[in-house]
Amino acid sequence: MMSIRRVISKIERNYIINNLKNEERIDGRGLWDYREWKIKHNLVASAEGSADVCLGDTRVITGLKYEVGEPFPDIPDEGVCTVMAELLPLASPLFERGPPDEQSIELARVVDRGIRHADCIQTKKLCIKENEAVYILFVDIYVINYSGNLIDAGGISALTTLISSHIPEGKWVDDHVEWTGGYITGETIVKELPIVLTFGKIGDIIFIDPSLPEELICDGKISISVTKDKVTSIQKSGAATFSIDDIQMLNKKAMELGNLLRDNLNLWQYKVNIE
Amino acid sequence: MTLLIKDEYPEKLFREDGKRLDGRDLKELRPIKLEVGILNNADGSAYLEWGNNKIFAAVYGPREVHPHHLAKPDKGILRVFYRMATFSVFERKRPAPGRREKEISMIITDCLEPVLFLELYPGTSFEVFIDVIEADGGTRCASTTVAALALADAGIPMKSLVSSVAVGKIDGKIVVDLSGIEDKAGEADLPCAITWFNEEISLLQFDGDMDLNELDTFLKLAKDALKEIYEMQLNALKSKYITIQEKYNGGQVKQ
Repeated sequence: MMSIRRVISKIERNYIINNLKNEERIDGRGLWDYREWKIKHNLVASAEGSADVCLGDTRVITGLKYEVGEPFPDIPDEGVCTVMAELLPLASPLFERGPPDEQSIELARVVDRGIRHADCIQTKKLCIKENEAVYILFVDIYVINYSGNLIDAGGISALTTLISSHIPEGKWVDDHVEWTGGYITGETIVKELPIVLTFGKIGDIIFIDPSLPEELICDGKISISVTKDKVTSIQKSGAATFSIDDIQMLNKKAMELGNLLRDNLNLWQYKVNIE
Repeated sequence: MTLLIKDEYPEKLFREDGKRLDGRDLKELRPIKLEVGILNNADGSAYLEWGNNKIFAAVYGPREVHPHHLAKPDKGILRVFYRMATFSVFERKRPAPGRREKEISMIITDCLEPVLFLELYPGTSFEVFIDVIEADGGTRCASTTVAALALADAGIPMKSLVSSVAVGKIDGKIVVDLSGIEDKAGEADLPCAITWFNEEISLLQFDGDMDLNELDTFLKLAKDALKEIYEMQLNALKSKYITIQEKYNGGQVKQ
């Protein structure tokens, strides 16, 4: 049992900052180290894809459901993917129940944009019949335990969910959808793997993957989504300001660490094979 | 536009060899796995896998009541929030809590309240959050069982644990612990819970039809199953402390 407060004592705050000045973290990491990742996939049978991702003590469970609906008129041959996030009150006493608040909407939107603007989901493959029927994917992120840096955990869990997805394959017959008995899997749907990396800033020190106490005393954060060679979305949040040099440095760092993380996690191992 | 995939109900709920579709006997429970203390931010927590059901429960309290007007000057209040994940069921559930979830929350609150000493905590609240990650029949019983464990894990004084199970009738036979498909296609469903300090029924609902002497059989069967579940709950609670003892005692467990 850990007591969580919105306010951190001055002595703890100073301890964290003094450690950071020596390029050390209170949990023994360096400035550019992630906590340990643990990933399980396809644990929810009722979902068409799911992932249980732990980043240190932060734990996120994500599931995918699909519906067949009409496409948007401006993109008649493309499917749709929406991301929702819910901060469950059981994850932390800081989370209150009720309709989604700013923090959960930000989590969902940052993860969504990271995926949307990378060439990640092959929306054309999610079309059953132009102008008539496309798949609508719902990637729903549930935070089970909150210990800092939900965005990175949410991003990886959304991506793992998409990779592990298996959606019944439909074809258009006359004027309705018939199921072929086959499946469209993550291998078909997903192409690029965008990774979102969050950096915290306290004073003029910048570091990756803020843990809960670090997140509580952070002046601000910046989340950068990267593919192999491109930056696809950036979100600055909190009351910190970043210099242009900092942002350039962080973009480079994000690209470098993103590639490293993508290699280390090897997310394609979580695809499902359906015979 | 019509879709051809539907929830399909099998014609028979028993196999040729007389066993149920998932291979169970009439009185057999689905496999149950219980764990306590798995969420470190809550005051108490528990996780349960009951067949395909996967449920987390966490408890906060006694803490300040929010909104304040709900506080009672002479006793604490218990509030239970039962919620299902959107992907926990066959058709995506809407994220906002529906009527069913609100009713079940209330039923579980009423079921758990008798075992707590709320009069000792005036002006405070105990909040139980139950999140169903995957649902396959009998979630209200599973939720009650896991919520009682989470309360115990939080160290909240209780008169006893609470255990819960559903009994029902499928294809004319009375069975214990209905799975999702048996619940939907069967004739009768009777979820019940027992408070062990007085061995009385604390949760009771019934849907279906039965004649008067069947109720007796229903409840007798339920009680045997409940005893089994109670043992599992006790073992789950004990195993947490055995783990702690082992950790700080160099692998030795004191009897």
